[in-house]
Amino acid sequence: MTLSDRIEKLFMSVQKPVRYMGGEFNAVMKDPASVDVRYAFLFPDTYEVGMSHLGMKILYHAINRREDAWCERVFSPWVDMADLMRQNDIPLFSLESRTPIAEFDLLGITLQYEMSFTNILEALDLAGIPLLQADRKEGPFVICGGPCAFNPEPLAPFVDLIALGDGEEETLQTIDVYKKWKASGLPREEYLKMAAQIPGIYVPSLYDVNYNPDGTVAAVTPKPGSGAPEVVRKAMVTDLDAVQYPEKLIVPYGEIVHNRIMLEIFRGCTRGCRFCQAGMIYRPIRERSVDHLMEMAEKLVSSTGYDEISLMSLSSGDYSCLPELAHNMVERFSAKRVKISLPSQRIDTVLTDTLKETQKVRKTALTLAPEAGTQRLRDVINKGVTEADLIRSVTDAFEQGWSAVKLYFMLGLPTETDEDVLGIADLAEKVRRCYFSVPKEKRAPGLRITVSCSVFVPKNDTPFQWAPQLDYDTVVHRQQLLRQALNRVKGVDFKYHAPDVSYIEAVFARGDRRLGEAMELAWRRGCRFDGWSDQFRYDVWLKAFEDTGLDPDFYATRPRPVDEVFPWDHLDCGVTKKYLLREWEKAQRAECTHDCRKGCTGCGMKRYPGACAGKTPPEDMQ
Amino acid sequence: MRALIRFGKQPRLRFISHLDLQRFFQRAVNRTGLPIAYTQGFNPHPVMSFGSALALGWTSEYEVIDIKLSAPMGRKRTEDAVRAALPEDLPVLEVRMVDDKHPAPMAQVRQAEYRIELMGESAPAVIDSIDDFMKRDTVTAVKKTKSGEKEINARPLVIDLKPDPNGFTARLMLTERDSIKPDLLIALLSDMAGVEPPEARIHRTLLLGEDPEGSLRPLMEL
Repeated sequence: MTLSDRIEKLFMSVQKPVRYMGGEFNAVMKDPASVDVRYAFLFPDTYEVGMSHLGMKILYHAINRREDAWCERVFSPWVDMADLMRQNDIPLFSLESRTPIAEFDLLGITLQYEMSFTNILEALDLAGIPLLQADRKEGPFVICGGPCAFNPEPLAPFVDLIALGDGEEETLQTIDVYKKWKASGLPREEYLKMAAQIPGIYVPSLYDVNYNPDGTVAAVTPKPGSGAPEVVRKAMVTDLDAVQYPEKLIVPYGEIVHNRIMLEIFRGCTRGCRFCQAGMIYRPIRERSVDHLMEMAEKLVSSTGYDEISLMSLSSGDYSCLPELAHNMVERFSAKRVKISLPSQRIDTVLTDTLKETQKVRKTALTLAPEAGTQRLRDVINKGVTEADLIRSVTDAFEQGWSAVKLYFMLGLPTETDEDVLGIADLAEKVRRCYFSVPKEKRAPGLRITVSCSVFVPKNDTPFQWAPQLDYDTVVHRQQLLRQALNRVKGVDFKYHAPDVSYIEAVFARGDRRLGEAMELAWRRGCRFDGWSDQFRYDVWLKAFEDTGLDPDFYATRPRPVDEVFPWDHLDCGVTKKYLLREWEKAQRAECTHDCRKGCTGCGMKRYPGACAGKTPPEDMQ
Repeated sequence: MRALIRFGKQPRLRFISHLDLQRFFQRAVNRTGLPIAYTQGFNPHPVMSFGSALALGWTSEYEVIDIKLSAPMGRKRTEDAVRAALPEDLPVLEVRMVDDKHPAPMAQVRQAEYRIELMGESAPAVIDSIDDFMKRDTVTAVKKTKSGEKEINARPLVIDLKPDPNGFTARLMLTERDSIKPDLLIALLSDMAGVEPPEARIHRTLLLGEDPEGSLRPLMEL
C-alpha cells in the first residue's frame, strides 16, 4: 500500500479529514523530478488557522514562482490524527504530494506565537527528524521565521537557521545558498556557515552564550572562526510594490478562520504603541499604491471566486489613501457582489467616510481597542487615543446603524492600579449611554457591548521588554474587580481567561536558550497545542520548569534593570535598544510620543537606506 | 437559462462533505466569469442546486449541478469556463443548456447505480450472498432516520445487483421516500453471509430519472 493509501485509511476515523486532504483549487503541483529544491512550509497549528495566515500564502507563491523549487504545505495534525499517525507508523507528510517531511531539503516553520512551540517539536518527532539540531546528520534544514524569530533562543537547540524580518527575498536566498552548498559537496555544517552570510539569517549553533552568576545573560558571541556576524540585522523589503504578491490563493474546501481574500495594503506601523511587538519589528511603514492594490484585487477576485476582500495591515485605518482605496474598491467590486472589510479598526482614524463606503456592502460588529481604562494608562502605553475619540467613534457608528461594539483591553499593563481597571467599566457605561443618546428611530435595535480583557505579556523588542508581568494573584484580583463592576452595566458581555497561558507565554517571549530543555520535557509529557484551551496543561508546564531547575518567574515577573543584556540583544529588529529604553522611561512618566508620520521619533530605522520617507532625526536621537 | 453540469469526484477529494462542496461551488461559479444569476436579499448567493448528495468517502462520475445564468450562453463556452474553475479532481464530464422551465434534477432523480469494490477476506462471501438476496421477497433492515430507527423491507429498494470478481454493481432506489444506501446494502449482504462487513470503495456511475412517459433514463438525457 502506498503512503497516500495508508493516510487515506485514517480519514474516516478523524475529525475534519479535509485538513489533511490537499488537492485544493490553486494548490501548486509540480513534477518532483523537475525541481532542485523541495521546500516544506510548516505552520505549527491546525489547517484552519494556518490557511488563514497571509505570510504563508506570500512565501508559498514566492517559492513556487521559481522553476527550480517546489514549496508544499504542512500543518500540525490535530491530536486525533497525530495519535493515529503514530499508531500506524505514518510520518508527517506534505499536503500537495504526500511526501514524508524528512525527505525534503528545507523545512520552513513560521513562529506566530510562543504557544505553538511544542507543536514544532511534535512535528519534528512525527516527521522522524531528530529534535536536536546537533543530532541531525541528514534530512531537511530547519528554518524558522515570523515574529517570534526575534527571540528564538528557547528554540535554539532545535533549529538550524532563523530568518529575521521580511521573508520574500531572504527565503529565496536560503534556497540559492542551499543549491550552492549541495553542488559543493561540503559537509552539513558548511551550509550553516554559508547561510550565516545571508542578510537576516541567524544561525544559533554558531554562537556561544555566557551567563552571569545571577542567571542573566553576560554575552552572546559568534564562535571563533564561524564567520557569523556579531549582530544579525533583519532582512527588509523597502518597496512592497516591487515584490511579487500572490496572484492566486489556495481556496480551501472546508471552512477556515479567515476564508477571504487578504490584501496587504501596507506593512509596518507608525503609532509606537509601547506594548506592541508587531508595531516595532515590522517598522518602517511601507504602503502599496492604490493602483497596485486595485490590480492585485482584480486578479485575486477572478482567480479565487471569493466574495470578500479584507484590507489587511496592522492598522488599516492609517492607510494614507484609505478613502480613495475604499471608494475605488466598492465601485469596482460591488457589481460582482464582493464585500470589502477593514479589520483592526482603530478608534482615532477618520472612520465615518470609509465606514459609509464599506457599509454599502457589509455591516459587522465594530471592534475597537482602547487597551486601557484610563487616560493616564493609555498615555503610559502610548495608545494616543482619548475618551473623546472613543465616544465620537461609537456615536458615529450607532448613528449609522451599528448596534454591536466589541472593546478590547489588556490587564496588567505596567503601572496599572485598581483604579485603571475600574476605568474599563466606566468606559463601557459611557458607550452604553452613547447608544441611548441616539434617537430610537435612528439606531438599530439590540445593543451588544462585548468587553474582552486579555492579560498583558511583555514582549522582547518593545519598550516594555524591561517590565515585569503582573503576578498571577493580582491579575485574578483585578479580573474579579472588573467583573463585579461590569455586572452593574447592563447589556455587557465580559470575556476573560485565567492568566495561565499568558504566564507561560511571558516565560518564552523573553526566555533564553536554557528553556529549550523545559520545553522538550513538557512536550515529552504530552504538551502540544498549548494555545488551545482544551489542550493546555498548566500543571505539566510548571512541573517541567521545576524538574529542569528553571524558575519561570525569573523570565516572566522579574523586573529587569535597564543595563541588563537580553538573550536577543544580538538580533537587530531595526528599532534600537536605545530608542526602546527612551520609550520605557517616558512610559513611566506617562509621557506620549507622537506618531512618526508627524516627524521622526528616532527609532533607528533610518539606518536602513531608503526605508523611511521622513526627515532625518536630530543627532542625539539616533 | 440554466446549465446542467455533470462532473466527477475523484478519490483524492472523496472526503469533502456535501456541505463543503456546496460552499466550494459558490466560489467556483464566481470564478467562471459566466453571468451567474443570484438570489435576492441581504446575502445573495448563486442560484444552483445539486442532483443528489454524495456521502463522505464515495467517489463518482455522475454528479449533477444545476446553475442558473442571468443571460444566455453557449454550451461550449460554458463548459470551458466551468472546467477552468474546477480542480482536476472534480472533472467536468458533460454540459447541457436547458431553459428555465426544465424541472430541477433533484426532483427528477429516481435511481442510482454504483460500482462497489470490496476488500479483505470476507469479500467473496459477501459477493456470494447476492444470489440469495435477490431471490428473497423480504429483507428486513433497520434504517436510521431523523426521528430514530425504523424497520424497513430493503429488498424492493434494490433493483438489481450484478456480481463481479472485485465486488458488484448495484442499481438502487433513490427518492425522498424510498432509498437505500450502498453501505447499508453491504451490511445486509454481510449479515446474510455471516461475516463482518468488508471495507468497500463506493463509486457512483449513474443517476436515473423518470421521463414524462414514465420510463427511466440517465438524468442528463431527460
